[in-house]
Amino acid sequence: MTATKNVLNYSYYPGCSLHASGKEYDESARGLFKALKIGLQEVPDWFCCGATPAHNVDELLSLALCAKNLELADKVEGDLAVACAACFSRLKTTQHKLGENEVKRKQVEQAIDGKVSLNKPVKHLLEILARDFGLENLRGAIKIPLTGLKIATYYGCLLTRPPDVPQLDCVEAPTIMETVVETTGAETVAWSHRMECCGANFTLSRPGVVLKLTGDILASAKRAGADCLVVACPLCHGNLDIRQKEIEEVTGEEYHMPVFYITQLLALACGVNPTKLGFGSMIVSPNPLLKEKNLL
Amino acid sequence: MKNIKNTKMELSQETMNVGFIKKVETLSGSSVRRCFQCGKCSAGCPMRSFMDHPPNRIVRLIQLGQWERVLAGRSIWYCASCETCSTRCPNKVDLAAIMDALRKLSWDADGPSKESYVQLANRLFINNIKQYGRQYEMRLAAVFNVKSGQFLKDLMLGPKLLSKGKLKMFHSKNKNLAEIEKIFNRIEEMRKNGDAP
Repeated sequence: MTATKNVLNYSYYPGCSLHASGKEYDESARGLFKALKIGLQEVPDWFCCGATPAHNVDELLSLALCAKNLELADKVEGDLAVACAACFSRLKTTQHKLGENEVKRKQVEQAIDGKVSLNKPVKHLLEILARDFGLENLRGAIKIPLTGLKIATYYGCLLTRPPDVPQLDCVEAPTIMETVVETTGAETVAWSHRMECCGANFTLSRPGVVLKLTGDILASAKRAGADCLVVACPLCHGNLDIRQKEIEEVTGEEYHMPVFYITQLLALACGVNPTKLGFGSMIVSPNPLLKEKNLL
Repeated sequence: MKNIKNTKMELSQETMNVGFIKKVETLSGSSVRRCFQCGKCSAGCPMRSFMDHPPNRIVRLIQLGQWERVLAGRSIWYCASCETCSTRCPNKVDLAAIMDALRKLSWDADGPSKESYVQLANRLFINNIKQYGRQYEMRLAAVFNVKSGQFLKDLMLGPKLLSKGKLKMFHSKNKNLAEIEKIFNRIEEMRKNGDAP
């Protein structure tokens, strides 16, 4: 382990949700990175990556939007840090597809009227914490161990799938999130639904779908004995946290399971002031659980 | 379009549109013909229970040139793009990409699937990018409810999210808005000239 790892600097693509429904992810990511002395500089005037709706019906548009954002990111120093799993997936997919398909690359270059730049490494925050900053350093930065918390780590879909694209970790049995969470001294549980889909953007068009899928996820986490979930995607968070009450109404099960962003838990453990971590913005309040474990 | 869901499938040179296979393969960049119907995609599909045709049958229908059945059904609009099928296919059929291609073919033909809510949500989402550069979830949800005639949908969520500061009401002007519009226009132009699918 090299000792001089505290001077890391990244360009930062938060994504639309982190300025709205997922703002506690943004706040806690900034707080955590500041505490770890990792620089984050937001790409000026970035715009929507197109997410699922764009590639669902218009691949060229989706690739062009991402290619243009990658071009904007090129102007800011450092690898591109991405918080949202969907943005991460879209940006990486664009690099992957345009790198191997010349026809598509030429079409995108015509659409954005410029050269496509594929050289900027795109990294999810998890990857930066686990690999660039390193687990050893992370362990060294923990001031308040989260002892006693039993956490279900939820990956969802796009952090790891499909195999050739994100290359964050093993596509069917990843461990990156567990290893990062365990540096805080918290316990992670083994459970069945950590890679199942939450229904993502069906939350707008077909909320019934989301209730079914997230209901199964929460039930699995509860069965495994978890007190809370940790996620790294604002859409997963929205579906598990914002819709949790509805799920309880539909299924008759009671969960009261706080859904943390990974950055919230790490920042808390690294001694960042809890009032700056957006706990108040969560629909399922984490305060009772954190007080019970003497962490607040 | 007539309701073909319950009509019997007759296979003959007249009823099999083999050209459709090529079309899907070109658009998706994935082979359709390599599928040997092991069913692994459907076994892992989280949306299977919401679909009329499970994913493996969608591929089989394309292989048999039954494009109308595929596009008329709601399966393609209930795919969540979770990529589980593409991850697990033993023959490297990229079913998630095939689903994208099928949606585009259906989208360009303005239907013919009746799954209008998902299509409406997609349309509004893309319009938001063109208009504002970024997504404003409150606006997206409000317009969706009005346009889909579900005025009371998630009515209780709005104030709750607002009080938590989760719904941004105002948007700042994105400096790249003109550039975004140009991308949309160029793509439209390319399609008109036949330079892009």
